[in-house]
Amino acid sequence: MIKLLAKLLRVLNSETDPGQISLGLCFAMIAGLTPLLSLHNLFVLLLVFILRVNFAAFLMGLGLFTGMAYLLDPLFHQIGLAMLTASSLESVWTSLYQSVWWRLEHFNNSMVMGSLVFSLGLFLPLLLLSNLLIRRYRQHILAWVQKSKIMQMFKASKLFETYQSLSAWRSD
Amino acid sequence: MAKWIRWWGLGAFVVVATILGCVWVLLIDGWVKGLIEEAGTEAVGAKVELDGADLSLFPAGLKLARLQVTDPKRPMTNAVEIANVTMGVDGLNLLRRKIIVEEMVLAGVRLGTPRALSGATRESSVQEKESEMFSIDLPSLEVPDVKNILEQEDLETIRLIETLKADLKLEKDTWKSRLEELPGKAKLAEYKKRVKNLKKVKKGGLKGILGGVGEVQALKQDIEQELESLNGAKKEFEDKVALLQTRLDQVKTAPKRDIQHLKAKYNLSPQGLANMSQTLLGGQIGSWVRQGAEWYERAKPFLEWAPALGGSEAGPEMQKPLRGKGVDVHFKEANPLPDFLIRKTKVSVNLDIGDLAGTIHNITSDQPTFGQPTTFVFFGEQLKGVKSVALKGALNHVIATDPKDQMTLQAKGYELKNFMLSQDAQWPVALTSGLGDMNIHAELKGEALSANGGAQLSALHLSAGKEGDINPLTTALSSAVTGISQLSLEANAKGTLQQQDVTLSSDLDRILQKAAGKMVNELAAKFGAQLQSAISAKIAEPMQQLKKNFSGLEGMGGDLTERVTQHNGILKSLLEQNLPIKGLKNLPGGLKLPF
Repeated sequence: MIKLLAKLLRVLNSETDPGQISLGLCFAMIAGLTPLLSLHNLFVLLLVFILRVNFAAFLMGLGLFTGMAYLLDPLFHQIGLAMLTASSLESVWTSLYQSVWWRLEHFNNSMVMGSLVFSLGLFLPLLLLSNLLIRRYRQHILAWVQKSKIMQMFKASKLFETYQSLSAWRSD
Repeated sequence: MAKWIRWWGLGAFVVVATILGCVWVLLIDGWVKGLIEEAGTEAVGAKVELDGADLSLFPAGLKLARLQVTDPKRPMTNAVEIANVTMGVDGLNLLRRKIIVEEMVLAGVRLGTPRALSGATRESSVQEKESEMFSIDLPSLEVPDVKNILEQEDLETIRLIETLKADLKLEKDTWKSRLEELPGKAKLAEYKKRVKNLKKVKKGGLKGILGGVGEVQALKQDIEQELESLNGAKKEFEDKVALLQTRLDQVKTAPKRDIQHLKAKYNLSPQGLANMSQTLLGGQIGSWVRQGAEWYERAKPFLEWAPALGGSEAGPEMQKPLRGKGVDVHFKEANPLPDFLIRKTKVSVNLDIGDLAGTIHNITSDQPTFGQPTTFVFFGEQLKGVKSVALKGALNHVIATDPKDQMTLQAKGYELKNFMLSQDAQWPVALTSGLGDMNIHAELKGEALSANGGAQLSALHLSAGKEGDINPLTTALSSAVTGISQLSLEANAKGTLQQQDVTLSSDLDRILQKAAGKMVNELAAKFGAQLQSAISAKIAEPMQQLKKNFSGLEGMGGDLTERVTQHNGILKSLLEQNLPIKGLKNLPGGLKLPF
């Protein structure tokens, strides 16, 4: 837990591009909210590897969103079921159903469909919002946090030692 | 662009994907093994075990080594043990989540093999009870003591007499009080007096006539009312008497029923010999039918169509939701195939009597989608103890609402050896040796099971009875049975899978009836005569009382009839005598009165 918090602070306080951190979080949202062993998550993993996405942000986000997914399961089921049973979309789903790859994707499952639609829908808003928040944090809060008494105490703590040891490892 | 792309990441992804793939390949065999064991155990209700599973990807296929299926009723025995299972899976359809097997080979199938460890699960820990030894109710050859029987037995005749006697007393008391309430002699005397007074009025001129009209009308109404109540009571009384008379008639025929019942109870009825083949063989055949039904029940869930497995013309279909799993919505497929299908299965069964070879076509859980039934054929020749055996059948669930399964078994030259037909202490019967040709056909249509079979048994050697038996009946039966060298047997079973009614008939019935029927009939007649006279003596006094009570009741009926007659008489005299009523009818001007 201490290491995780230290990692978060290190990522936020580093000079990594906010876009890379935000993208990592957004990819984590897709992988975390949708069933992990899905075909599309292999594609997400590929993107995480080849794009300059912040790995630490991705891994932290993955843990966070996986936990959230359990709470949101009923919502995903409702969304997915509504999408899959919408008569206007039936011809689309029927044609996808004939494809081996789409069957492998298991798109016809209410949970897969619901969580994928939900996370794709939130992808752009989360990207912009997290980008904005990280920039604001760095502009207005970072300096104040560094000078605060709590931070001074923190620097003297074991947590800071961990932070220091991790700072040697730079993100790409 | 270079700011956003890291090309070495592609290599890292390949490495990670390869590692994940290797882990999958290493673990998949164990996972498949576990999956088969778990699903099999749940389906059978006892442990299903595998020594190993080997899943190959190119070409897609699966090999299973030593599959053991425990008999749920005998946990230390495998119902089926298969040395090797080999199948080739359609890889493309596997990606569509469909298991389509073109050909499966089951080699080294053995039945009833012993297990090293118990295969019982918690649910199936109940051991099968040994089949119960049945005994035969042979007709008795000793006439029981009639006196003792009548002391111990609850005779229907006595019961009917007692209840009728009590009811008669109750009716008598009731009608006694009813008669007191009903109009009797006092009322009659009153009416006579009123009639007499009216005659005096007649002589009083027109004024007297007009005054008497009202009185006549009132008197007439009173008498009619009394008559109505008397007639109602009379009708009610007659109904009651008729009912009691019917019961009295039942009492008169009750001794005959008592005698029949006692003759059957004390085995002095020749009916016991009428269907001895049912007694001797019915239990065993019923047990075989039940075993077959139990195995069918286990296979049934795999044959019945799971309606949510395929999309239809009506639109998408869904499976039940599972928490955290969601539901699968299925759409119409261009070339629909069931989720699970084994087109052809070659089976080689190693039995103690020799090897049976068979082929099963179209094993699937979704026959409506596939459109073809599951069929099977097994055949074996020159086996140990049987010349040939053939089993064929079809499990047709193509129309899910109208399933029809059928099976035919033919066996020729089946050697019968040391087969206990009866373990009755009084009269044991054993089939020492013989040959049988049998033909069995069973059909299950929906819930209705019907099976029929015929067997021709020849070269029979039967042993029956005990040494030193002095009972003339069992001696006669034993002599008849041991002389039998051939028999024809017919069996029918009807009902459902849970409840079957097995009926059997054979030459045996006729042979035994002929051997001992006369002897039993004579004894039964003797016992019947003794019972008749003893029962007649026992019921003589109660019957006498009953008749006496009945005549008392009939006397009340006479009283009631007399009262009705008397009231009718007085009403008649009122209307016929020259009372004012007559004078009024002749009023001048044609004036009529409303009565």
